[in-house]
Amino acid sequence: MRRILIVEDSGSTRAFVRAVLEAPDFAAPQGGCEVVEASCGFDAMRLLPRDRYDLIITDINMTDINGLELIRFIRRSAHHRQTPLLVISTLRAQQDAERGIALGANVYLPKPFTPEQLRESCAQLLGAPARKSSEPGSRAP
Amino acid sequence: MNEGGGRGDGGARDDFFSEAQELVDGLGRDLLMLDEMLKKGHVEPEIINDVFRGVHTLKGLSGLFGATRMAGLSHQLEDLLDELRLGRIDVDAGVLDLLFRAVSLYARILSSEKGEAEDPVHDVEQLLLALGHVSNRREGEGVGAVAQYELDPGLLGVLTEYEEHRLRANIQQGFALYRIRALFSLATIDTALDTVKANARPHGEIITYLPTGSGGDADSIELEILMASKASLGVLSKAIQTTGVSVEEVQRRALSHSIHATGLPNPPADAGAATPSISLHPAHPREAPPLRGGRSSAPAPLSDTPSLVASNVPSPATGAKTSARPGSGEMSLRSVSQTVRVDIRKLDRLMTIVGELAIVKTAIAKLTDRARSRFVETREFATELGRLNRSFERHLAQMQNGILEVRMVPLGQAFDKLARIVRQISREHSKEVNLVVTGAETEIDKLIVEELSDPLMHMIRNAIDHGIEARDDRLRVGKPVVGTIALNAFQKGNHVVIEVEDDGSGMDPKALTAAAIRRGVVTSDEAKELSQREVFALVFMPGFTTKEVATDLSGRGVGLDIVRTNIAKLGGVVDIMSDVGIGTKMTITLPITLAIINVLLVEIGGNPFAIPLASIEEAIVLDEGALRTIELREVLSVRGVSLPVCRLDRLFGFASADQRRGRSFVVIAQVGDRRMGLIVDELVGQQDIVIKPLGRTLSRVRGFAGATELGDQRVALVLDAAALIEEVLVPGETRFFGTADAGRS
Amino acid sequence: MAVLAKVRAAKRAAMRAGEAGTRTEYIAFGLAGETYAVPIGQLAEILRPPPITEVPRAPRAVIGVVSVRGRLVTVVDLRVRIRLPPASMDRRSRILLVDNGVEHVGFLVDDVQQVWRLAPEEIEASNVLGGDQAAHVAGIGRPAGFEGNVLILLDLRPLAESA
Repeated sequence: MRRILIVEDSGSTRAFVRAVLEAPDFAAPQGGCEVVEASCGFDAMRLLPRDRYDLIITDINMTDINGLELIRFIRRSAHHRQTPLLVISTLRAQQDAERGIALGANVYLPKPFTPEQLRESCAQLLGAPARKSSEPGSRAP
Repeated sequence: MNEGGGRGDGGARDDFFSEAQELVDGLGRDLLMLDEMLKKGHVEPEIINDVFRGVHTLKGLSGLFGATRMAGLSHQLEDLLDELRLGRIDVDAGVLDLLFRAVSLYARILSSEKGEAEDPVHDVEQLLLALGHVSNRREGEGVGAVAQYELDPGLLGVLTEYEEHRLRANIQQGFALYRIRALFSLATIDTALDTVKANARPHGEIITYLPTGSGGDADSIELEILMASKASLGVLSKAIQTTGVSVEEVQRRALSHSIHATGLPNPPADAGAATPSISLHPAHPREAPPLRGGRSSAPAPLSDTPSLVASNVPSPATGAKTSARPGSGEMSLRSVSQTVRVDIRKLDRLMTIVGELAIVKTAIAKLTDRARSRFVETREFATELGRLNRSFERHLAQMQNGILEVRMVPLGQAFDKLARIVRQISREHSKEVNLVVTGAETEIDKLIVEELSDPLMHMIRNAIDHGIEARDDRLRVGKPVVGTIALNAFQKGNHVVIEVEDDGSGMDPKALTAAAIRRGVVTSDEAKELSQREVFALVFMPGFTTKEVATDLSGRGVGLDIVRTNIAKLGGVVDIMSDVGIGTKMTITLPITLAIINVLLVEIGGNPFAIPLASIEEAIVLDEGALRTIELREVLSVRGVSLPVCRLDRLFGFASADQRRGRSFVVIAQVGDRRMGLIVDELVGQQDIVIKPLGRTLSRVRGFAGATELGDQRVALVLDAAALIEEVLVPGETRFFGTADAGRS
Repeated sequence: MAVLAKVRAAKRAAMRAGEAGTRTEYIAFGLAGETYAVPIGQLAEILRPPPITEVPRAPRAVIGVVSVRGRLVTVVDLRVRIRLPPASMDRRSRILLVDNGVEHVGFLVDDVQQVWRLAPEEIEASNVLGGDQAAHVAGIGRPAGFEGNVLILLDLRPLAESA
């Protein structure tokens, strides 16, 4: 069972990510998938020390603690220093994305991304092969 | 934080509309504030950033949910806003106009996505073109100022591009930098931080929040807040004043050379390099990390024209049903969202009631146990059970009403959007108009608010088009150049009144009458019979206009007649009064259809009635002995004071009136400074009810404010104390409509 | 709601017979011994009367108000409205709901009968009848098979607009 943390201030974006990653398409080959939502950096800081997470997905532009500061915090922490980190942000913030990688994030996925792209990135970071979805150009569930 | 997963497509898409609507509304409000700031000449950078973030979020959202039109627009807008917030382009009226246009277009696109309006393809293209032409770019800002300060070397690496810009901008203005350090408990950090922010903000700008990574554990975290301020350390410390929070100034480095006027410092002394150098350029990653995951078919990384992955999303063509509404090129102000923003206190109250219900439930459970025992005393048991039942009913009723209350929203929701419309229309017509709003907090059912948005918009268009004069005309008659439209809302008894008043040219009754005769709306004979109020009401006749040349507003044929019909559907009326040369006032009177009021239930002539508690002073048993008749009116002596009374069973013509035996009650009603005792047969109890209007057929019947359903399909009429007092105490003005019947069963 | 079921069945039958174009459906009801009828399209609903709350000092024709799924409806005694002698309600009485554009108005009738599909030749419009017929009388219907009797055709809309 994989546990994934999504840190993102837009409610419907979180719902979208959850919908994609918890769908059988993606979750089954992973042996099950639970998506935990954090609406801001502080939420993430509350959640991270208490549980094991296999993957952390974070946006960069958030109020209060921005995604970059969160990444630095995570990479310095004892609990999730090595956890794969996926940064989602718009292409506009190219520089921000670069900084995110410099601080230790593994992969940068620009918004807007398709469900397929999200699945592939996550599967790669989780280490198991992603199953190709049956229809081309699949819609968000 | 953990929302229930596994919702279907409909659920996620509804979320999208709801969130998108909120974002668009927020953008509108922010732009209005920005407008104000621009007029005052001082723009706060935070608000540009807020607008940027709003558009940024909308862009992300629309991309995810396949709203291509919206995503495309957002992309361009975001570019512009980024340039604005980074100080590379100045905000001016022209740019602001484009932003306002964008917000209007967003609303239309949302409607179109929902299938309720046409896809505004053409207008979006126009706006995109205009955005592309925005040109007043500034020169790149000076780099290097940051080096003066003793900041954490990794700092720039964790600042987003925007934060970095704000840091530089503040430094260039010569503000001091401060570090506010505090240990926060993670559980309460949100509120604690809000307090610190609220104290700090008046004194400067907060740049960023940095977890220090020390001094914390799983439950707490130490944060360093970097802030720029004109104030001195003493002032700032005092303002922030919270235990456990320390404030220190960020020291400037000792420089061997002075800073030149260009703001570029000479490089710090290189000998000894104890001072770490801070990278002044955007950080380049030292290796080339994988910037994109997977082997997917995504386009080349980091180009400036991201693909919108259109192939994966459903085309919006299905949403573009032609709207049958008149003027489909213009938008409606209705929200596309079916959600309601709720004041959390209303929810708290509901929770309290649920808590009380739980107590009743426990008591019932205990009673049930007792019932099983052989030694239960029947009468005592029955009393107890009855008491619990009543308590339960009461709480349930409260809960029902509490939930209805959640539907009530402040009128301000509709008014916000109108401010934007006013701005747009007045610019269209080169008139300067100011919208002044009072009473935005007046509450009314959300559905009514939705229905009101469009009629109000038409009324305002009408006021700007036909009412407010052109600049020169206004100057000539000594009016201020800027016209005013006052939007006023208040509650009056069981109604909500909304006034739309302008200081324009007003309406000339003669010109109206002439135009009406010309158009065959009335004959010249009929016209002579019209009262002034009725003459003004002629503008509500279909297709009416006094301007011979149809401007693009009145030419749409969406006249005030539709306004009147829509208001009538809500059970309301609209009136119009005007003074030539001075202005026009349109008044909408609406019943608060879902108004919840606290009433005293009574019985009169065997039928249930309700009297609003707000009109009641007290209720007492009728002492027949204390009644006197003075000048044909019955008067009761209550504690030495005379009180005129009215036997309602007689007034209402109930057959049983004259055979009444047994005691009666007097409900002492007070309205303004008039008091009257209403004599009723029985007092039943106090209750919260939902009052509904009686309908047009019965609107002329005196004495009733509405009716309510008592449960079990029984209906109780709600008395209008003010009307009754006026009817009985002010003789000569009483009008009966029909005669009181002997009553039908 | 047996009557509404009959109404729906009649509509389906008419559509099947493909006669929807030429014939108009009227629903017949009784009032003071006579049979009246209105076009089905004018009716929003037919109800069994719920408890009617009297409204003191209302116009004579108004019996009172009822609550229909939470909305208040004014109930008018159709007998009184068209100047027939009043009578009391019994278990066959029904309320016909008419939409007057702003609200629903209910008309109380003695009973509701069947649906008639009238062809144009079976209808005699009121202007042909001559004289000063009231606005609400739309004409006379003589359906084939309704021996000897006629249907007095009504237009309820003017009655609903100004009860």
